[in-house]
Amino acid sequence: MNKNSNLYIVIYSTVMVVVVATLLAVAALALKSRQDANILNEKKEAILASLSLTGQNYDEVIDAFVVNEKGEKIEGQDPIQLLFDLPTAFAEHTLPVFQAQDGRIVVPVSGVGLWGPMWGYVALEKDMNTISGIVLDHAGETPGLGAEVATPKHQAMYKGKTIFEGEEFVSVTLRKGGAKDPKHEVDAISGGTKTSDGVTAMLKTSLGAYLPLLKVSAVAPCCEACAEATECETNKVENNE
Amino acid sequence: MSNKNLKYLTGPFSANNPVIVQILGICSALAVTVQLKPAIVMALSVTAVTAFANLVMSLLRNGLPSRIRIIVQLVVIATLVILVDQVLKAFVYDVSKQLSVYVGLIITNCIVMGRVEAFALGNGPWASFLDGIGNGLGYGLILVVIAFFRELFGAGTLYGFRVIPESWYIAEGGFYSNNGLMLFPPMALILCGCIIWVHRSKNKDLQEK
Repeated sequence: MNKNSNLYIVIYSTVMVVVVATLLAVAALALKSRQDANILNEKKEAILASLSLTGQNYDEVIDAFVVNEKGEKIEGQDPIQLLFDLPTAFAEHTLPVFQAQDGRIVVPVSGVGLWGPMWGYVALEKDMNTISGIVLDHAGETPGLGAEVATPKHQAMYKGKTIFEGEEFVSVTLRKGGAKDPKHEVDAISGGTKTSDGVTAMLKTSLGAYLPLLKVSAVAPCCEACAEATECETNKVENNE
Repeated sequence: MSNKNLKYLTGPFSANNPVIVQILGICSALAVTVQLKPAIVMALSVTAVTAFANLVMSLLRNGLPSRIRIIVQLVVIATLVILVDQVLKAFVYDVSKQLSVYVGLIITNCIVMGRVEAFALGNGPWASFLDGIGNGLGYGLILVVIAFFRELFGAGTLYGFRVIPESWYIAEGGFYSNNGLMLFPPMALILCGCIIWVHRSKNKDLQEK
């Protein structure tokens, strides 16, 4: 048989493609449930990690719900499922919120770095102002440079920073050359300026989307911030519901 | 294992090393050697792909139409890489995250196709399989050596563990500073050149007249 005849080549490549396609389809389907479970588990672990509750049972300590752009609870959406496509969730104003038993909340953030998407979870204290913890992750930032945003060392710097200056939302900025403002700035990554700028922008836009919710949920230390005591009382009542 | 087969396996470690003698796979050696951990996982993944690509192509070699052999090689290699990626994602999710885009980049690694073209198409399956493992490990050896120096002098850590004490750094009042150039790809090329230099000065038969 002539192995270089057109007929042989057409048959050979057809068979090869069918075999390969079947193999890949079977592998993808067989492993899909395991991969999804891994991803889901990773998201739950990241939420717990941002609250420094690593090792606890997610279903026991977290109460998840979804709010719209006005900060009102909406029904019919699964908060965890929304995490799988955060950019769309933000665009459609279906914002997932994860509340711990102690009143702290975790909100997801979503943005872009130098090479691809970035995302993360910001845990806020009950005053809805102080950052209690943060977890950042990325798809493909440069190891040793931009990818350092995903290290515990970098993320530890956010703890205790505040996202409001008085009543005004200022977010947290990654400052090249080292943080100057101890309340709202952390050190940027050296050699990872673009990634750092991406994180700054991500925090600003994503946390910004939650502003209405943060304003109504804030309790206790807000008394220093909000001048009218009555407003504070109402806030407390709402939070007790 | 016969002597000849053993040579297929161990030859690529030094005398026939894919990176520093055949000068293949340089591109990925620059990309994944900033830290040791991705370098090691990359080395293992490449070894698996080279070994099985060699095995499959060696089995197919007698019925293979030579006019489309490169396409067939690409399909086989790409399939193996996707399988490796899927398996890593399902069973060692954290490692697969660490490697991110690099797993896909195995397809473009010249060693894989180079060995299929140069060896598997002319040798039996067992010898080809050993040759694949040998070349994968030979590649991995260079990656690990380069990553060792880059991580040590670029970040002061090894495999993520701190080696150079924090107190030595200028920021902490010390005298030491990391070499930022180590983190950039050109330094990997320079290190690779240094390795070739040392290797050739020890192996006189590799020196061009």
